[in-house]
Amino acid sequence: MTNRLAWIATLVTGLFMVAQYFIKTNATNAIYSTLLDYYQIIFAVSMIVGGIGLLKQHSLKVQRSSQRRGYSIVTIAAILFMVIAAGIFGTGATSPYQWAFNNLQAPMQATTFSLLAFFVASAAYRGFRVKSTPAFVLALAAVIVLVGKSGFGEMISQQLPAMAGWVLNNPSTAAKRGILIGVGIGSVATALRVILGIERSYR
Amino acid sequence: MMSRLLETFSARHLVYLVVLLAVTVPLLLNTRLTHTASDETKRFYANIDSLPSGSVVLMSFDFEASAFAEIKPLAEAVLHHCFRQNLRVIGLSLFAEGTALGEQTLSRIAGETGKAYGTDYVYLGFRPQYTSAILAIGESLPKEFPTDYFGVATATMPVLSGVTNYDQIATVISITDGGMPTYWVDYAVTRYHARLQTVLTATMATSFYPYVSSGQIQGLIAGLKGAAEYELLLNESGGGGRGLLAQSVSQVAILAIIVVGNVVGYLGRRRKWQ
Repeated sequence: MTNRLAWIATLVTGLFMVAQYFIKTNATNAIYSTLLDYYQIIFAVSMIVGGIGLLKQHSLKVQRSSQRRGYSIVTIAAILFMVIAAGIFGTGATSPYQWAFNNLQAPMQATTFSLLAFFVASAAYRGFRVKSTPAFVLALAAVIVLVGKSGFGEMISQQLPAMAGWVLNNPSTAAKRGILIGVGIGSVATALRVILGIERSYR
Repeated sequence: MMSRLLETFSARHLVYLVVLLAVTVPLLLNTRLTHTASDETKRFYANIDSLPSGSVVLMSFDFEASAFAEIKPLAEAVLHHCFRQNLRVIGLSLFAEGTALGEQTLSRIAGETGKAYGTDYVYLGFRPQYTSAILAIGESLPKEFPTDYFGVATATMPVLSGVTNYDQIATVISITDGGMPTYWVDYAVTRYHARLQTVLTATMATSFYPYVSSGQIQGLIAGLKGAAEYELLLNESGGGGRGLLAQSVSQVAILAIIVVGNVVGYLGRRRKWQ
């Protein structure tokens, strides 16, 4: 029964959202606007559910006294600190929440992201081997784009940035557009499967 | 100690050392690379430059803290340009993490250029679920944002006077490190005919060239090179110009690493054949 109700809600909402795109009346606009509000409310609530789930998961890890319980304790402490700090002192520029974001979260994320440069270089050294014709074409395109788009490109030759632009605007864009069209068709097919109840991830 | 360190020193460590030096030495030298602006950056610049004074720009700070180092010079350069043109800037964020960083960047540049909050710019803060937020702005911006980031009512703010949806917004600028421009194209451009430009990290630029060539994205600038080029057009010095040499040297270093990797690989294979 619950499943059927969920499917009926999905069917009605899905069909309405398709219809309202083409039928513009005051009534459809009002319902559409309300649905958008609910969409945001449901998403905000789902974030709370996700947070509680994360806390439960890490609490279990701490209880089981696994080897990595230290990470779980830090995670729980961080979540609770941010929620409590924001709840009590707000999220203003001088609040503890903002201080933690600016001085802990942002530098830690930037540091982790910066490490990618080292991993990319290491992976390029080990993995970017020209062993076949397609690999040679790939390497050639990479060299043209890398040098052409770098600050040295135009110093070496005025043609290099133009060549890099050609690679990006023609073969790369053509391939990307093909993928996007495929993704678009796939999205429509998936949406239809969900609306018609063939795909029921909520079951 | 030193001999033990040398024993464990591998090719991977050498690669790490080369990248470290390629990034840090140019930054310490504080030298700037001579360069010109690309057509891509000139187009973005011209789009902003052609807007009449008082036009409304919706700037969405859709990035995470991890990409801030690359995004910051770009965002600052574009904001400088907008304020120089006396455009009204509406800031918001569709990423929770971008919220505070967006507010800090917008407030700082507005302060530097002597702009007044509520009159010349406003920061509306974060909205969850970006697709519905983008759609909701198309229906009614005042309804979606009855208060700003600081909880102040937006109805009486001069900066938002006459702004009800995308029709009154001269251009939307999505500043992002991810796929957000796709959603802006899908929901704001397609449905509400919004005029979209995007400011991206260099790695994301390739993903959006199809939208630029189709005209769905009217302007695109990316990475430190884009920032350096924009600063050049503005005749200002900023983080883009400072970082361009470091980025360019590291790109050449990675290229050299690829070449060395291939030579080592080839020699290894030849030894095997023999």
